[in-house]
Amino acid sequence: MMSRLVTARLLQALVAALLIATLCFAMMQTLPGDAAMRIAASRYGPDAMSQQLAEAVRLELGLERPLLTQYAASLMQLARLDLGYSLVSGAPVIEELKVQLGHSLWLALLALALSLLFGPTLGLLAGIRPGGWVDRLSLGLSILLRALPPFVLGLLLIMVFSLWLGWLPPAGFGSWRHLLLPALTLALGLAALSSRVTRDAMAEVAAAPYFAYGRQKGLDGLALAGRHGARNAAIPVVAYLGLQSVYLIEGVVVVESLFAFPGIGHALVHAIIARDVPMVQGTVLIMGLLFIFINLLVDTLCRRLDPRLNAWQEVRR
Amino acid sequence: MTPVLCIENLQIASAGQVLVDNINLRVEAGRPLTLLGASGSGKSLVMQAVMGTLPAGLDVRGHIGLDGQNLLALSPQQRRALWGRKLALLPQEPWLALDPTMPVQGQVSEVHRLIHRRSKHEAQRLTQQQLDEVGLQQAGQQYPFQLSGGMCQRAAIAITHAADCPVLLADEPTKGLDSALRDSVAARLRHEVNTGRLLFTISHDLDLARRLGGHVGVMRNGRLLEQGDAAQLLQAPQHPYSRRLLAAQPSRWPQRQSREKGDLVLQARGLGKQYGSRTLFEKLDIRLHRGQITAISGPSGCGKTTLGNVLLGLTPPDQGQVQRSAGIAPIRFQKLYQEPPAAFAPRQRLGRAFADLARLHRIPDRAIAALLQRLQLDEALLARRPGEVSGGELQRLALARVLLLQPVLLFADEASSRLDPLSQQQVMQLLLELADERGLAVLLVTHDAALAARTADQTLVLGAPRVRCGDCSTRETDRASA
Amino acid sequence: MNALTRTPLRATCARQPNAVFSARYWGGGLLLALALFALLGAWLIEADPNRQNLMASLAPPGGDYLLGADHYGRDLLARLAHGARLSFGLAVLTLLSAAVPGTLLGILAAWRGGITERLLVTLADAVMALPGLLLVLLLIAFSPGHYVPLVLGLSLSLWVEFFRVSRARTATLLIQPHLEAARLLGFGIGYRLRRMVLPEVAAQLPTLCSFALATAVIGISTLSAISVGLRPPTPELGSMIVELLPYYAEAPWLVLLPSLLIVLLVLALQLIGGRINT
Repeated sequence: MMSRLVTARLLQALVAALLIATLCFAMMQTLPGDAAMRIAASRYGPDAMSQQLAEAVRLELGLERPLLTQYAASLMQLARLDLGYSLVSGAPVIEELKVQLGHSLWLALLALALSLLFGPTLGLLAGIRPGGWVDRLSLGLSILLRALPPFVLGLLLIMVFSLWLGWLPPAGFGSWRHLLLPALTLALGLAALSSRVTRDAMAEVAAAPYFAYGRQKGLDGLALAGRHGARNAAIPVVAYLGLQSVYLIEGVVVVESLFAFPGIGHALVHAIIARDVPMVQGTVLIMGLLFIFINLLVDTLCRRLDPRLNAWQEVRR
Repeated sequence: MTPVLCIENLQIASAGQVLVDNINLRVEAGRPLTLLGASGSGKSLVMQAVMGTLPAGLDVRGHIGLDGQNLLALSPQQRRALWGRKLALLPQEPWLALDPTMPVQGQVSEVHRLIHRRSKHEAQRLTQQQLDEVGLQQAGQQYPFQLSGGMCQRAAIAITHAADCPVLLADEPTKGLDSALRDSVAARLRHEVNTGRLLFTISHDLDLARRLGGHVGVMRNGRLLEQGDAAQLLQAPQHPYSRRLLAAQPSRWPQRQSREKGDLVLQARGLGKQYGSRTLFEKLDIRLHRGQITAISGPSGCGKTTLGNVLLGLTPPDQGQVQRSAGIAPIRFQKLYQEPPAAFAPRQRLGRAFADLARLHRIPDRAIAALLQRLQLDEALLARRPGEVSGGELQRLALARVLLLQPVLLFADEASSRLDPLSQQQVMQLLLELADERGLAVLLVTHDAALAARTADQTLVLGAPRVRCGDCSTRETDRASA
Repeated sequence: MNALTRTPLRATCARQPNAVFSARYWGGGLLLALALFALLGAWLIEADPNRQNLMASLAPPGGDYLLGADHYGRDLLARLAHGARLSFGLAVLTLLSAAVPGTLLGILAAWRGGITERLLVTLADAVMALPGLLLVLLLIAFSPGHYVPLVLGLSLSLWVEFFRVSRARTATLLIQPHLEAARLLGFGIGYRLRRMVLPEVAAQLPTLCSFALATAVIGISTLSAISVGLRPPTPELGSMIVELLPYYAEAPWLVLLPSLLIVLLVLALQLIGGRINT
């Protein structure tokens, strides 16, 4: 069962990589000017560039070959996990990404941790008494936060915490203080969703016949919540993390650009503006694979929590 | 002192509207109580009043005595303290009431550990013993979704054994179970009575009440119409409603008179069908004639409906062939469905459905009007949507819809099994009358052996599906053998 | 439980659908007001959103400029109205190019099954293999700053939701007895699709459409804000916000008003979508 799960996700990763590589190959062809000259200029610097160097690059990379051959070659190159060189800096893409990915992972992890601190906690409090004031307050907050696109939310946080209160730096990189505002922006957006999912899961479990039966068996309070509440309510919350990974990855791109945070999303946006295709390919590929990996983790966790998912094939009723 | 549960002058009201009134009942050791009634009769409210699980906002009066205490005078906390200690509940549809993410063993042993505060070792030993008692010794590590409905029911019984309460409340214990299992449910509940427990059951199942014995009450519209000794009351009820209810039981229906066989409508040779690795049926020969009622019966999952669909041409057989007699238009092969609301488009008004059908096949309006009248249906129903009409009416509308097409073969797939007994009787009676009038071949798929025996000219009993191809899993029986 | 016990409970539960209904009502009203502002505002306000007047740089609200002027002295009200019109226009364009093919292909896939369905599902899975924004960014990289790849990328990622929902709905409908019954009763494919499948699929569309519109509005403004979508001087709300951020201290309304406009637009769409609870 587990291997089936991994296979499905590996297949998805393959499809994603193929899609990205194909689009980027096509993008390469649409760039204006001569490709060999461009690459030579990025490798040796515009001053040292000459016709001979460009010809050497052309031969080395096989740019004179038919398009289909070049396409196959670019796929082969990707299959060897060779991401090529940046057209702007000339450095290997993988080297640039290593540093930036680290920064982004810190941001994403902090955001996730903060959102798990806010979201499910608020959801639990709201779900204990559906319709109570905590519930209504959290609903209102959630509606408001969801109407705020992440970049607007980020700007508002900058205005309040940097420009108005002067507590935190508005942008840049260097200390944990630079990490806080972008992480908070993402975390609030994530918590707006997860708090409601938690609350609904709580309410659903509380209304479920097995919960009522647990109570009528004579179980009470904590014993009842611990034995028949927690695991059942956790299943939708964890499953929802898979969907939230979309928000997290999209949010990283937006928030990093907004806060000039030197992560992988920031690098992607810069690469697009500079039309640095190898960097675009590398960044999108890494984020895509990360997305798929997170979903694999979530799937695994769901199966741990919910025995029905493991056995759905063996038993048909 | 022998324990007694007695209900005196129970009245339940909501915002001034009396829902249940003037209930006086008594459960004694060795003399179980079964409260019979259709849904909406108020029997569930009575059980909830005993258990203490009535929805908030209901006004309850009267006296429910147990061990010299008036349960109705206790605080909600005091009542909850009785659950699992004095009062045990056998929930309806246990496959929904068991925690889907916990193995059965844990759901039994938690009663020992957390309610009776027994040691881990002791709890383990008793749990295994109680699973053995109900024949689930192998199933302790399994999750509820891996068990059949009957096994879930037995797991719930093991849980009540763990609680070991003097009073057992059984809420619709046969609901959703195969008729073949109902006997064993009754036997198990009877066993509880024999071990000295006070058993209070609510049900709509008269057979169950008869098998449980003891005391029976009949409820309707919140009133207790009559009560008395089970054997006596179910033999000769006094109240007209009880009498009608009893007469509506398929086993009490008059035996249908056999008709002359008409023309051959359809014949099948060597039919076989597999589902995954299971063989549903094989080497089956069937001939359907006009004017004849053919019943297919057997336990659920045996492939009854699949066989019907194969005969009607909706599903291709894996082996063999179905041959319709020449010269009959395809639309004269029709079907009635188990769930009447599912057979109509949910957003379409019924009048629209009939008008579209009439236009498609050039059926005059008066033909529809005449047929509706024949089926005792008010034309005003046509202004409604399927969800706004009762199940019995909707099934008769479905019958009217197919009869408009002058069918020669009608496949009724459990067409009355989801209806209450009175509606079931009415629908089946009309179906059979019209089949006779019009010389219809009827294919009746039913899990109810009594219904098949009372109505069919020939009955085909499918056995439980075989995993491997062995001997022929079907046998044809004559109606006489039923 | 029987009908009697349900009666008292129903009274307390009745508030829920009402809340959704009134949320839809408010959302609809808000959206109508914003649409009127976008459609009529751009037409009624005579000021050219791109006419600069450096004498009026950062002019406060009131006077010649009802909502003030930006750093180039451009009329903010006019820019807001044109920005709203642009957001609406592009979002509706995106919606149409996602919803119409998505829904029809979903019904087709479920109805035809076989190789048609497998091909379409594979295509949808390929799109789903990446978070939507990454796909949009990949397409934008072909030609940053233009609206064609923007709309194309958004609808390419949004059609999947329409496809999935309408395919799933159709697939569950097709095995419903009432469709089998209709076939037995002699009704043709056209009737069954039009009268039985389409109304059920259409019932899902308002929620999906408002969700897709909200996603498009957020997507367009976000991408413009990180300067890969539409670019100044186009009066796009997202790029306006970022462009005006440096003047926050002197003229905070310049940043807040376009932000408010986006938030109200998304809020209205979410309220209509009825997904306020989850």
